[in-house]
Amino acid sequence: MTQAVAEAQTQSGPQERPEQQSCSGRPVVLGTHALTKQFGSLLAVDGLDMQVCRGDIFGFLGPNGAGKTTVIRLVLGLIHPTSGYAEVCGHRVPGQLQGALRHVAGFVDDPTFYPLMSARRNLCLLGSMTGPVSEERIDEVLEIAGLLERADTRVGGFSHGMKQRLGIAQALLHSPELIVLDEPTSGLDPRGMKDVRELIRELGASGTTVFLSSHLLHEVEQVCTRAVILNRGRIVVQGPVSELRPQNDAVKVLTGDQGRAAATLRAQFGAAGVLEDEGFLVVQAGEETVPEMVRRLVADGIAVRAVVPAPEQGLEDFFLELTGADDAKPAGESRRRGIARLLGKRR
Amino acid sequence: MSAHGSMVPEMRGHAWGPLRREWIKLLFQRRSYLIWAGMLAIPFLVSLAIKLAGSGPHANEGPAFLSRVLGNGMYVPLASLSALLPFLLPMAASMVASYMVAGEAELGTLRIILLRPVKRGSMIVSKWIVAMLYLAVGFLLVLAGGVVFGGLFFGLHPMVTLSGTTLSVAHGLGLTALVFLYGLAAMSCMVSLALLFSVITDSSLTALIGAVIFYIVVQIVIAFSYFAWLRPWMFPNYFLEYVSFFRDPIYWTPILKGLASFAAWSFGLTFVAYLLFRRKDVLS
Repeated sequence: MTQAVAEAQTQSGPQERPEQQSCSGRPVVLGTHALTKQFGSLLAVDGLDMQVCRGDIFGFLGPNGAGKTTVIRLVLGLIHPTSGYAEVCGHRVPGQLQGALRHVAGFVDDPTFYPLMSARRNLCLLGSMTGPVSEERIDEVLEIAGLLERADTRVGGFSHGMKQRLGIAQALLHSPELIVLDEPTSGLDPRGMKDVRELIRELGASGTTVFLSSHLLHEVEQVCTRAVILNRGRIVVQGPVSELRPQNDAVKVLTGDQGRAAATLRAQFGAAGVLEDEGFLVVQAGEETVPEMVRRLVADGIAVRAVVPAPEQGLEDFFLELTGADDAKPAGESRRRGIARLLGKRR
Repeated sequence: MSAHGSMVPEMRGHAWGPLRREWIKLLFQRRSYLIWAGMLAIPFLVSLAIKLAGSGPHANEGPAFLSRVLGNGMYVPLASLSALLPFLLPMAASMVASYMVAGEAELGTLRIILLRPVKRGSMIVSKWIVAMLYLAVGFLLVLAGGVVFGGLFFGLHPMVTLSGTTLSVAHGLGLTALVFLYGLAAMSCMVSLALLFSVITDSSLTALIGAVIFYIVVQIVIAFSYFAWLRPWMFPNYFLEYVSFFRDPIYWTPILKGLASFAAWSFGLTFVAYLLFRRKDVLS
């Protein structure tokens, strides 16, 4: 039923590894093969295997410090792997880096520019490193990024959000096959986030493969078609976004007497199905149970103030558990519990 | 790869492309103009000070040729160079080169330019060349400024060589140009040294300090007679050998030794910088 593949967490040999998500006929634009990077005693990326297929808007999810940026640096040749390799647009990295970079554009960490140069001159300078760029093309990408009216001002005066958008603009210059964006919405205001997500969706619709790194689960859910979840340098889950998380419905309930309401609801849904969260009672149940829920509460004389379907509730819990918010526990164990929960809920 | 057919033509044989980019980057830094302004100011100040004082230092005092400036503006460029070469020019060379890689790392632009299909080797070589071009412009400012201010303040007259023979103005200017080229070659060692430090560290200030400290330590060490055996191997030992151009006939042996030393050090240091840069993990 589920196609999302949970990576086995123990030091399993290749034969024990669950089968990879295949691209079902589509070419693999970006693949990593047992990609590993060690910094001193820190194993930042641990035997990473993943595949991004042509046309994907691929979400690369993980908490801060999961190793997302390290993976991107490895894939784009900024750092050298301890072992393993990546394959980018048919070119092996390391080894055929120049070939790979001719088909890829994007940025790692925050996009950076020469502060005393105008936006236009920055684009011209960066673009000319890949190939000739026309003035019209520069205007075009500035227009797409919504920066045309600031094209001739110094980038040094740009806000963080404008630099993020200029980072996307420079990536678009040569219409690359694959665009890699490292947390492009970080530090943006809600309006800016919405614009950038819209832009990414449009890119995907136009056939460009987008590799979107993010620590925001809902962002990946909104924008991406497939995703992996990374934690401590390992893939925890990979698969189509719609199947990444359990179909875990929840309803938030606010009443005049939360204590009595909790007792009533626990009688209906069991003790484990009712949790408290920021003043609300969170009931693990679908919307179809709401009429019955309200009927019982009212019958017990409890004033119901609000009943809100909250599917994200389960999502956030799921993400937190997968990425092991608890550092005290051995990493493998807490992740395994996450997987168990994921698989258990599905059945 | 037919599945990954490129719409981007390969950039081959366009060596001026990377050079032009590095040059533009230099021109968009304020410090570049500061150093050039300082270089232009020196011949002016040398001329002005000696003109106003009405007398230069005595012979064998101060930088070479300074004592001769009063009677002949032709000596202003040489005196300026002598004043600059032991310290200010090595500083300028180190500043420009130390910023080349570490400065981009500080700015964060290193990680965005390395996502473009440009070989790291050609990048480091173009950075070296552009740093030298930058210094060449600076040398030209000292030379031209020296000739102009010297001519205005003292007039341009035939020069007298260290051997006592007389050189026509044109001949003297030609020799002065050769001296400046020699000085530029000397500075290539500092450029390579600072470039090496620039690759090793991600802080341009650390790179600058590394290069300058290395230079000063070498200077001090070879000043001791105990370490005299080291002198022939150390490039700062040859910095002031250009005075040999002003013997008649030109005394080529120390000049050629100096040039050989500069070439060996520059090549060696730049090659190490290239090897390290190629393997460098860019984490900035």
